[in-house]
Amino acid sequence: MVSLAESNAQDRQSASSRAKAVKRFSTSDAVFKNVTRSAAFAVLAVLAGVAISLVAGAWLAFQTFGLGFLITESWNPVTEKFGALAPIYGTVVTSLIAMLIAVPVGLGIAIFLTESCPRPLRRPIGIAVELLAGIPSIIYGIWGLFVFAPFLQHTLQPFLIATFGHVPVLSSLFAGPPYGIGVLTAGLILAIMVLPFISSIARDVFTTVPPVLKESAYGLGMTTWEVTRKIVLPYTRVAVLGGVMLALGRALGETMAVTFVIGNAHRITPSLLAPGTTISASIANEFTEATGDLYTSALFALGLVLFVITFIVLAIARLMLAQIKRRAGE
Amino acid sequence: MNFQSVSEPVARQDATGRPAPRISGQPKIELKDVSFFYGKSQAIKDIRMTLPERAVTAFIGPSGCGKSTLLRMFNRIYEIYPNQRAEGEILLDGENILQKSQDLNLLRARVGMVFQKPTPFPMSIYENIAFGIRLYEKLGRTEMDERVEKALRRAALWEEVKDKLSTSGLGLSGGQQQRLCIARTVAVRPEVILLDEPCSALDPISTAKIEELIDELKEEYTIAIVTHNMQQAARVSDLTAFMYLGELIEFDETNKIFTSPNNPKTEEYITGRFG
Amino acid sequence: MATYSGRKTKNTVMMTLCAVAAAFGLMWLALILFDLIYEGISGVNWAVFSEMTPPPGDEGGLLNPIVGSLIMTAIAVAVGTPIGILAGTYMAEYGRHDKMTNVIRFINDILLSAPSIIVGLFIYELMVRTMGHFSAIAGAMALAIIVLPVIVRTTEDMLLLVPDALREAGTAVGAPRWIVIRSVAYKAASAGMITGVLLAIARISGETAPLLFTALNNQFWSTDLNAPMASLPVTIFQFALSPYDSWQSLAWAGALIITVAVLTLSIVARVVTAQKEDR
Repeated sequence: MVSLAESNAQDRQSASSRAKAVKRFSTSDAVFKNVTRSAAFAVLAVLAGVAISLVAGAWLAFQTFGLGFLITESWNPVTEKFGALAPIYGTVVTSLIAMLIAVPVGLGIAIFLTESCPRPLRRPIGIAVELLAGIPSIIYGIWGLFVFAPFLQHTLQPFLIATFGHVPVLSSLFAGPPYGIGVLTAGLILAIMVLPFISSIARDVFTTVPPVLKESAYGLGMTTWEVTRKIVLPYTRVAVLGGVMLALGRALGETMAVTFVIGNAHRITPSLLAPGTTISASIANEFTEATGDLYTSALFALGLVLFVITFIVLAIARLMLAQIKRRAGE
Repeated sequence: MNFQSVSEPVARQDATGRPAPRISGQPKIELKDVSFFYGKSQAIKDIRMTLPERAVTAFIGPSGCGKSTLLRMFNRIYEIYPNQRAEGEILLDGENILQKSQDLNLLRARVGMVFQKPTPFPMSIYENIAFGIRLYEKLGRTEMDERVEKALRRAALWEEVKDKLSTSGLGLSGGQQQRLCIARTVAVRPEVILLDEPCSALDPISTAKIEELIDELKEEYTIAIVTHNMQQAARVSDLTAFMYLGELIEFDETNKIFTSPNNPKTEEYITGRFG
Repeated sequence: MATYSGRKTKNTVMMTLCAVAAAFGLMWLALILFDLIYEGISGVNWAVFSEMTPPPGDEGGLLNPIVGSLIMTAIAVAVGTPIGILAGTYMAEYGRHDKMTNVIRFINDILLSAPSIIVGLFIYELMVRTMGHFSAIAGAMALAIIVLPVIVRTTEDMLLLVPDALREAGTAVGAPRWIVIRSVAYKAASAGMITGVLLAIARISGETAPLLFTALNNQFWSTDLNAPMASLPVTIFQFALSPYDSWQSLAWAGALIITVAVLTLSIVARVVTAQKEDR
C-alpha cells in the first residue's frame, strides 16, 4: 500500500509534469484539427479547381461559337468550325444502349444473388462480380477492339441488317455495312462494363431490406418473385434508381472502353452500326493532336459539357442513395 | 482549499432540508445546484451533494434517472459530443471543474473512468497501460515496466497476464478486459475513479473479483460507482445516492438507505416495487 | 388475384430469367478474362519485364512503361493518401456534426465517380500549360486526384465504425483528441484504411484517360519527373491501335499484367478486411 506521504510526493511530481504536458496538448490538438480541416477543404478545392480550369479552358470556344456550340454538328479542325452536337449525341446514345441492357440484366443478377442463388455460391459469385467491377476500362477497350467488334461484325450486325433492313424506321437504325466498330458496339461494351457495377450496388441495396419484412411477406404465402416485386423493389426503389444513376454517370464519362471501338467520326447518323464519337472519346483521341488554341479550347468546352452533365447525374444519384442510408440509420 | 470539515463528522442538511449523510472524510467532490441538458431536455435537476474522499459512493436508480449522466459530468466526458451542457458548480478539492478555464485533459487525468463495457484499446496489454502513463510522464524502460506491473497488480490481473503482455488486450476474457481497464485507469494515478456500471457485462465470478478490487481501491481513491444492481451497491459502497427522474431523492450512508430510507420512493425502489 | 398455379408459374419464369441474367452477365465477364489470358499469356515473357518498348514492328518489352506506372502510382499514393486520411479524419472526428462535413462528403462522392478524363483536363490546365510541357509529375498529380476521394471515403467510413466507447475510453485517461485519434481510432480502423489504400492503387493502376495529356508517353527509358513518362495503360492504348503485330501482342501482355495486378490488389484488400472481421 502506498503511504499517504509517498502518494502526495508522487502527486506533486506528476502535477508539474502534467502541467507541461497539458500545455503541449492544447497546441498540438489545435494544430492537428486545423490540418485535418484544411485537408477536408482540399477536397472542395479540387472540385472548384476542376470547374474553374474547365471554364477557363473552354472560354475561347464559347466566346467564338457562343451557346450555338452545343447544337452545332460540324467539327472541322481545318476550317476551325467546332460544334458539340455529335459527341453529345454519341454520349447519350451509347449510354442509353448500355443502360437499356445493363439495368435489367444487372438487377436480375442482384435478385438472383440475394433471393434464389444456392447459399454456397452466393459469396463466390458476389465476390466475382465485385472484382469484375474493379477491372480497368482499358481492358474492356482492348477486348472490344480485338475480340468483340470482329465478332459483332460477323454475327450480330449482319443479322440485324438482314432482319430489320426492310422494316420501316428500324431499317434506318440498322443501316449500312457492318463495320464492327461503331455506336452499337460502344454501347454494348459499356453495358458489359457497368453490369457488375449495377449488380453489386443493387445487391448491397437489396440486403438493406429488413428480414422481418421479407419473412412476413413469405408468411403470407407470397412467392419469391412476388416478395421481390412487391416488397424488395418498392422498399429499395429510390436507392436502386440512385445506383442506376451512378452507373449512368459512369457510362456517360467512360473514356477508354468507348474510344477503342466507336470509330471517332464527328457526325450524327441514324444508324447505330455507323461509327460515331462521344465527348470523352473525342477528347482522348484528339487532345494531344489538337493544333491551335481554338481546337484545344473546343475540346475543353466538350469537357465542360461532360462535367456539367455528369455532375448533375451524379448529384441526383448521391441524393437518392443517401435516402437508403438515412433509413438504415434509423 | 476548504479544511473546515476535516476529521470531525459533520451533520448537514441538504437543500430540501432532509438530513444528509454524516461524512467522515474530507469532501472530495462537491456538487452545487448541478443541472445537465441534452439539447433542450434536462437530464439532471439541481443536484447538491458531497462525495467524501477515500470512500465509495454508489448511485442507484431506475434506467434513465440520470445517474450515468451525473457520473459523466465529473470528468466532463460529455464534452466530446455537441449540444450537451452542464450548469452549476462541481468542486473538485474546492475548485470548480465546470468553469471554462478548466483543462479537460488534466481533469481526466485526475478523474479516471471505467465504462460499462470493457474497452481495451486495440493494442497490446502492456501498451494499454503504458498509453495513459506516457501522456504525462517520460519514463525509462525499467520505470515504465515497473509502473505497468504495479498497475496490473493493483487490478489483480498481473498473475494472469504477466506472460503475455505483448499480446492484444482484445484477446482477454470480458472480466480480464474490465480489470485491464481498471489497471489502465489507476496507472495514470488519478485521485477519483468513476465506475459506470462496471460489472453489467460480466459474469458473477468476474463481478465478485471487481467488487473485491473496489474495496481495496477505496483506501487510495475516491470512488463513484453507478450500478443497476442494488445488492452490489449495498456490498461495495459506503454511501448511496438514490436518483429518480434526474433528481437526487435521497443520499445517505448505505446502511441507512437499505435499512430505513427516509423517502417512500427510495423504499419502493430498493424493495423492488418499480424500476 | 391470379390463381395459385398461375402465380407459381410466374415465379418460376421470373426467377429463371434472373438466373439466366446472372449466367449471361457472368458469361461475358468470363469471356473477357479468358480472351485476356489467351491472348496475353503468350506475350508475357521475360523480355516484357526486361526490355524497353520497341520501335514499330520490332520485338521488345514493357520495362519503361511498367517502371513509369510504378513511379507515378507511388507518387500519387504518397500525395493522395495523407491528404485523404486527414480529410476523412476531419469528417469523422472533429467535424462529424458540422453541416460543412455533409457538403464535403457530397462533393467527395461526386469526385469519386467523376469521369477521369476531366481530371486530365484539369491537370493539363493547371500544370502542363503553366510548365509548358508534359511531365511525369503532372501525370502523378492527376492520379493523386483520383486517389484522394477513394481514401477520404474509406477513412471516414472506417473511422465512423470505431465505437464511441473507445474514444471515450481514450479521452478518459486524459489523452487529447488528436492522440485518441492517432493511437486509438486509427489503430482500430487500420485494416479498413489499408484496404482503402489498396483499392485506390487498384483504381489508378489501370487509369489511362488522366495520363493521356499529362504524362503523355515516352518511347525511351526515363525516370525524370520533369519529362514525359511512359505508363502501362497509355502504352497499351497506343500499341493496341497500331497496325503492328508485335505492338499489339505487347498491348495484350500489358493488359494481362494490369488485370492480374488489379485483381491481386483487390483480393489482398479483401483478405485484410476479412482477417480483421475474424478477430
